[in-house]
Amino acid sequence: MIRQLLFLALILLLSGPAATRTLHVGPGQSYSSIRRALDAAGTGDRIIVHAGTYQECPVVIDRSITLSGYGLPILDAQGEREGVIIEADSVTVEGFEIRHTGYSYIEDRAGIRVKRNKAFTIRNNRLILTFFGIYLEHARSGVVENNAILGKPLGEANSGNGIHLWYCSEVDIRNNLIRGHRDGIYFEFATDSRIRNNISEDNLRYGLHFMFSNDDIYTGNTFRENGAGVAVMFSRRIRMLHNLFHLNWGQAAYGLLLKEIYDAEIRENTFQKNTIGIFTEGSNRIHYEDNDFLQNGWAVKVAGGCDQNTFIRNNFIGNSFDFAAIGNMSSNRIEQNFWGDYTGYDLDKDGTGDVPYRPVKLFNYIVDQTPETIILMRSLLVEILNFSEKVSPVLTPADVSDALPRMHRYGR
Amino acid sequence: MRTLLILFTLSILACSPGPQSIRYGEDACYFCKMTIVDQQHSAEAVTAKGKVYKFDAIECLVQYIIPLDEATFTHLLVADFDQPGSLIDARTASYLVSPNLPSPMGAFLNAFDNPNRSASVLHEQSGTLYSWDSLKENMASNSLMPR
Repeated sequence: MIRQLLFLALILLLSGPAATRTLHVGPGQSYSSIRRALDAAGTGDRIIVHAGTYQECPVVIDRSITLSGYGLPILDAQGEREGVIIEADSVTVEGFEIRHTGYSYIEDRAGIRVKRNKAFTIRNNRLILTFFGIYLEHARSGVVENNAILGKPLGEANSGNGIHLWYCSEVDIRNNLIRGHRDGIYFEFATDSRIRNNISEDNLRYGLHFMFSNDDIYTGNTFRENGAGVAVMFSRRIRMLHNLFHLNWGQAAYGLLLKEIYDAEIRENTFQKNTIGIFTEGSNRIHYEDNDFLQNGWAVKVAGGCDQNTFIRNNFIGNSFDFAAIGNMSSNRIEQNFWGDYTGYDLDKDGTGDVPYRPVKLFNYIVDQTPETIILMRSLLVEILNFSEKVSPVLTPADVSDALPRMHRYGR
Repeated sequence: MRTLLILFTLSILACSPGPQSIRYGEDACYFCKMTIVDQQHSAEAVTAKGKVYKFDAIECLVQYIIPLDEATFTHLLVADFDQPGSLIDARTASYLVSPNLPSPMGAFLNAFDNPNRSASVLHEQSGTLYSWDSLKENMASNSLMPR
């Protein structure tokens, strides 16, 4: 019996996993440099890099291996190179601190670059002052998770994007912290990807930015104190769920900017304390449902060319302006929202107000024509104007109206 | 008295119509609403009355200008690819559309003050060269924007 077991153990030892090895890099380990270990490694091997500072950037990975840092080793790019370049399928890079790629006008240097391959995993890394953080080009089916990507402090124009996707598909980006870049996360021609539970803050332009990207979803993210929260442009079928858009203040600042997008879904998000919660232009068939608009300058501003959009069951509370609309809104549906400023009554006690609510106020119309008049906000004159317009509407658009306004805010 | 004079001169100067410097990270593109951050691709138009329109990308300026009368603008300016942040005359600049040099709104459009430079970058990166007029023609026929 014992002999049989020993025999079995021997077979197991000799057969299956013999192909994959673990190589150790570091002071006093079998390899003194990452490059040497990479040269010696074969498919499926694991290289463990022990704590220390390594000045051998760029680390080019040209075979399918796992590169793991143990004790947060530092890869120092010394201000003039990229950190790690992945040039093979099925590569994992984890547990490194990558520093100082330096900034350049000529090349988009990255902390970690993935080039034309698939099945990559980039996790548990810290990227400090890299120009672009993680740069994925022509890559697919990969994961970017639990990384901290910390760039320059806010206000410096010359910075790259935290996580940059360029012609990618099926990428999962989750639980990352991105700070101090141009755009926190940037998608250009990136499809079928998921962005979950990230925090993107203090970025110069946008927390998250889509250009020409379709069929993506972002959910559970926080976008805080960016130049503007999120911009979705020239894209189709983007789903935006459970995100927080917070404190995006400034002249050109929006919680969410939508420009020429189609068939999107915006559900259960919170827009709080933004200059403009959502600005939308030339965007059709967008479904806005169960969102909270709290304490924004403008909750929703709809510019020209927006058709067949639906605003349903949203809370509008404490905004200076709930709704601004330029152009024909007749093909849009606005109903069953809760409007903090609604003063109607509910005689049949069914929870729905008996008179329609028109969220565009007269003063809104005046401010659009002459922005400087904003100084009269909250003055008696404006109150009188708004009131008289409410009693007998002349200038405010009749097609922006909620026929079924709710009497109580929706609990979430 | 002298201070007053200086102040007066300064105020007159401050009022004169002309190009304004772009506040990167603060100003928004008049055409596409995006915040302007890219110093290699920004652009500006100034009307005869002194109204200034700023753009985050050269393609935004071109698309804005196509349906309008160009003569009503005293300045049409684009960023020089080689000297980020410096604005040059759009009408005399040399333009390079190269698949290797992305621009903010997806047209891969870059401007150069020095035509020799655009030609040499063309040689390195491939692409097509345009003048201001041929650029407008191609943009109007919609052959330069994605989709």
